[in-house]
Amino acid sequence: MATVSTAPTTSRPTHPSHRPRTPRRGLPVLGALPFLAPALALYGIFLLFPIVSAIYLSFVRWNGFPTVPQIWAGLANYQDIFTNDTVFHTALRNSVIWVVLSLVVPTVLALLLALALNNRLLGRNLLRSAFYIPAVLASIAVATMWTWIYNPNSGLVNSTLTSLGLSSWIQDWLGDPQIALYSVFVAFVWQTTGFSMVLFLAGLQTVPADLVEAAKLDGASAWQTFRNVTLPALRPTFTVVLVLTVISSLKVFDLIVGMTNGGPAQSSQVLALWSYSQSFINHNFGGGNALAVVLLVITLALVLPYLMWTLKEDER
Amino acid sequence: MNIPSKAAALAASALLLTACSGRVQDNTSATSGGQVKLSWWMVTQNADTANAAFKSIIGDFEKQNPNIKVDLQYRAVDAHKDALRTTAGSSSGPDIYYNWAGPGLGGELVKSGVSLDLSKYYEQYKWADRFNPSTLAAYKQYGGYHGVPWTQRTEVVYYHKDQFAKAGISAPPTTYQEWATAAQKLKDAGLTPITMGGKDNWHVMRLLDTFIETNCGAELGDKLNTRATSWAGQPCVDKSFEQLKQWSGNYFNKGFAGLPVAEAGAMFHSGKSAMQLEGDWFTQQNIDAGDDQNNVGVFPMPTGTDRLYGFSEGMYISKSSKHPDEAAKFLDFFTSAAVEGKYLGVFSSVPVNKETKGENPLAPINTQIAELTGKAKGFFLNNDQNFSTDVTTEYWRIQNGVTSGSIAPKEAGALLQKFIDTHKD
Repeated sequence: MATVSTAPTTSRPTHPSHRPRTPRRGLPVLGALPFLAPALALYGIFLLFPIVSAIYLSFVRWNGFPTVPQIWAGLANYQDIFTNDTVFHTALRNSVIWVVLSLVVPTVLALLLALALNNRLLGRNLLRSAFYIPAVLASIAVATMWTWIYNPNSGLVNSTLTSLGLSSWIQDWLGDPQIALYSVFVAFVWQTTGFSMVLFLAGLQTVPADLVEAAKLDGASAWQTFRNVTLPALRPTFTVVLVLTVISSLKVFDLIVGMTNGGPAQSSQVLALWSYSQSFINHNFGGGNALAVVLLVITLALVLPYLMWTLKEDER
Repeated sequence: MNIPSKAAALAASALLLTACSGRVQDNTSATSGGQVKLSWWMVTQNADTANAAFKSIIGDFEKQNPNIKVDLQYRAVDAHKDALRTTAGSSSGPDIYYNWAGPGLGGELVKSGVSLDLSKYYEQYKWADRFNPSTLAAYKQYGGYHGVPWTQRTEVVYYHKDQFAKAGISAPPTTYQEWATAAQKLKDAGLTPITMGGKDNWHVMRLLDTFIETNCGAELGDKLNTRATSWAGQPCVDKSFEQLKQWSGNYFNKGFAGLPVAEAGAMFHSGKSAMQLEGDWFTQQNIDAGDDQNNVGVFPMPTGTDRLYGFSEGMYISKSSKHPDEAAKFLDFFTSAAVEGKYLGVFSSVPVNKETKGENPLAPINTQIAELTGKAKGFFLNNDQNFSTDVTTEYWRIQNGVTSGSIAPKEAGALLQKFIDTHKD
């Protein structure tokens, strides 16, 4: 029987003659175009076209029926949003609250969990999986589950409070306009913390062990080691986590649809859902798309400066 | 890059672009071998009996008309609305479609040019004489005739007789004052007077609509609901919102605002509440849930106007249908007294065809509702069908603001009118 021997893989010696060639100036773009075309086509059809279409629709009056003409309205839809829309300011305020809370609560929890589960302890992998599982569940399933948990008559929360003798703490968690948004946010934290935890865990693997060791030898406390060694090393991870958190929190939709549908009395309404509702429920496609453009501008205004700042810092 | 690689990449690109430019399927009115295929869009029916009835009706029609084939397609409510909107005016739409008859729902499609004026067929098939005038009014409100009536839904108060007796209420209330007194007696007896699923805004809306009919009367109520007069500064509107606040604070089930209607219904079925404001479709749900039918009664909302609360559902023919004659022929069969009588109680307990005769298998409650409908002076419509969808959204926001305390009842009418004034186009 013939045997096949495999040569041991060795890293190639670094030699000037083996350095990758820098691309020659003026390489024909046309040559690359056929390879880029599929990706460009997909990008154009599924990303650029909807954005351009949304921007165009934000300047027209239209109820969404192809049989009804689109009437050019200039900035009227934007003017309506800021002056006549009775829900916009609530939705904007809720979106801002949601972003701020998302940057603090799940991020801090995820970091603490990652730090805890980065240590050697019994059942570590099991715990990591347990905390990550909610992140792979469909948001609408999470919404259904938490709706049951919050059920005012037979839900887990109120039943537990009753059995603990804390009946006075019982609330109409999703029916009280003062707390509905925060009740949904708890479900959001439960669902999203695990994902950020995994990112932090990955980041923690890049913290140089010798630096941590050196800090300990120099007599640094656990807090000092974390503050001056671990945290700076986690900078790129923080960038990813914070940017993704801002984007996902501005896009939050399914959870709110499933749990409160923006109610009661639009008290848990957010910009993404209100944009959808204006277009597809109220048949105000101009207003809905104007809201979508406002949301896009807010997202870019929040994300781009932070990304540019961190990139500049990394270059230093 | 070598030539074969370039060629392969170009071929892949071409394939992708070809795939992205697929043609929209022509869904409707196919004609093959002299046979016309009618496309009929309907919202999904939850009851197996309803699905079986549709199948049977189509089978009977196709036997009588072998040159016409009816293709019934079901969609969920929102998907149905979306599909009608996106296919409006195109050959991808249906020949016949289901919709609610109110101006805020079916009316929007009429205004958007989706529905065909059926005046010609009303004359040909004498439909104007076929249907109950109170139901037919909704189909001729746009000029001409748009759609044909399929159901007349009547909404009443379902109540548990034993709970009324326990609270010392000897007879169903006939005035608002008696109704409010009954609610208070039920509360005093330690019972939940009325269940509401406030998560579904239209459930609480039914009570508000009722209060407006009660306090404003039929004439002013109609003017308000059709936006022919202002909601601001109307004492009867202020009183209605005030009553809504009182009822929600005193008589609704605890935690109603976050509860879906299905759960509110389950509370009633299991005897955890005395009353629920529902349409005739609730009877079957109540039977299915095992509630004792001898212990359940109904009474009309005591508005004092002798009008019942309800709405009609109809079947419309698309303006873009290539076979409106065949579609009208099917609707003539579908709404005939013979067909409606055969399936009375499956879709609705109240016949819309004046000639319909038949046993109502869901007696006695649905028979009672049908009798109430026969005696009524007319209908007042659910406001989510009166209003355009954006006004409905605002109406619900204000209604929920009043029940939750964030909007004062006396401010509600002015707030709604302000929205109406700034959203006239």
